[in-house]
Amino acid sequence: MDHKTSEEAALVRRVQARDEMAFREVVERYQSKVFSIIFGILRNRNDAEDIAQQVFAKVYFSIKNFDFRSSLLTWIYKITVNECYDYLRKKRVRKLVYESDFSQEDAQRMEASEPAVDGSVPADTRLAQRDLILKLLSKVSEEERSLILLKEVEGHSVEELAGMTGLNENTIKVKLFRTRQKLLRAAGRLTRTR
Amino acid sequence: MHREIRHHIEDVLTGSQAGSGDTLKDAREHLAQCDECRSEVQGMQEQTALIRELRAPEDFAAELRPGFYARVMERIEAEGPISIWNLFIESAFGRRIAVASLALALLIGVYVVTAERSVEDSTLALESQQLPAGQTIVAGEDAPAREITQVDQLQTDQSSEDAVLANLVTYREQ
Repeated sequence: MDHKTSEEAALVRRVQARDEMAFREVVERYQSKVFSIIFGILRNRNDAEDIAQQVFAKVYFSIKNFDFRSSLLTWIYKITVNECYDYLRKKRVRKLVYESDFSQEDAQRMEASEPAVDGSVPADTRLAQRDLILKLLSKVSEEERSLILLKEVEGHSVEELAGMTGLNENTIKVKLFRTRQKLLRAAGRLTRTR
Repeated sequence: MHREIRHHIEDVLTGSQAGSGDTLKDAREHLAQCDECRSEVQGMQEQTALIRELRAPEDFAAELRPGFYARVMERIEAEGPISIWNLFIESAFGRRIAVASLALALLIGVYVVTAERSVEDSTLALESQQLPAGQTIVAGEDAPAREITQVDQLQTDQSSEDAVLANLVTYREQ
């Protein structure tokens, strides 16, 4: 897929030329997407909005470095995930988990230390699992993290990822496989140290 | 993990039937026989399930408060263009470089001061060796010792000159 000649490329070139209307269009086009990516990772609505602002500020300052090798969304996605990890680093993962705005029902269940009645995973276990997977994902590179999140969280196929990133399908498969292996090894190390 | 599985791992994990029929069938057969591959695939399936938990909930309304764009622009104006100093202040690597540079500057400073002192000490030791034996106590004070000696010499010369003048005056009076 050619990312240099699309309608999106024309929009990016206008933003690179500091066209404020074009930048506004980018923000309006992607703000909901960015917000839901951040919320999915952090589960904190207030911080999600703050980080979303930071993401678009980064987009504004860095758009001159955008090289059209990937789609704009892929590029923004990577910035968004990096900003989430910056936030996690600053606030410390463990502290964040307990500050997340999980539901009232979850909180009550946690206080009572009772298993979920509907057969689903209890809230405290869910939080611990989120904590674990966020920690594991911090052990792989930014590119690997974005790729596996685009695949598993956003639900893109290998073919779509190839189109979005400008890489060929085999490269995507190899990168995903290596990422999965790294995650398994990191999980093994974490289990041994506990 | 064996090659048969490695190449089809994405299809295996997604449960996709889209892979080329025979090879995917081979992969599944291999998985049924190979404990090592089966265990690794199981681990990957569990992790995939955990990663999918990072999806925003279905009922999540991704609605930002009105005026989001204005707040983004405010932030951009407040941050301004990225300064080179931000690299040192904001990034952990930059901070480490700054701390290392300070530590290095401190070490160099300490070295320079101690080196100067030792040079001064050796100069003084040399000077005290050059002075006459009777003046070593004064020389211990520091470099001006020599000047004191010269002043003393001058005073001695002056007093002997005065004595000669006094003798001449006395002689004329007589």
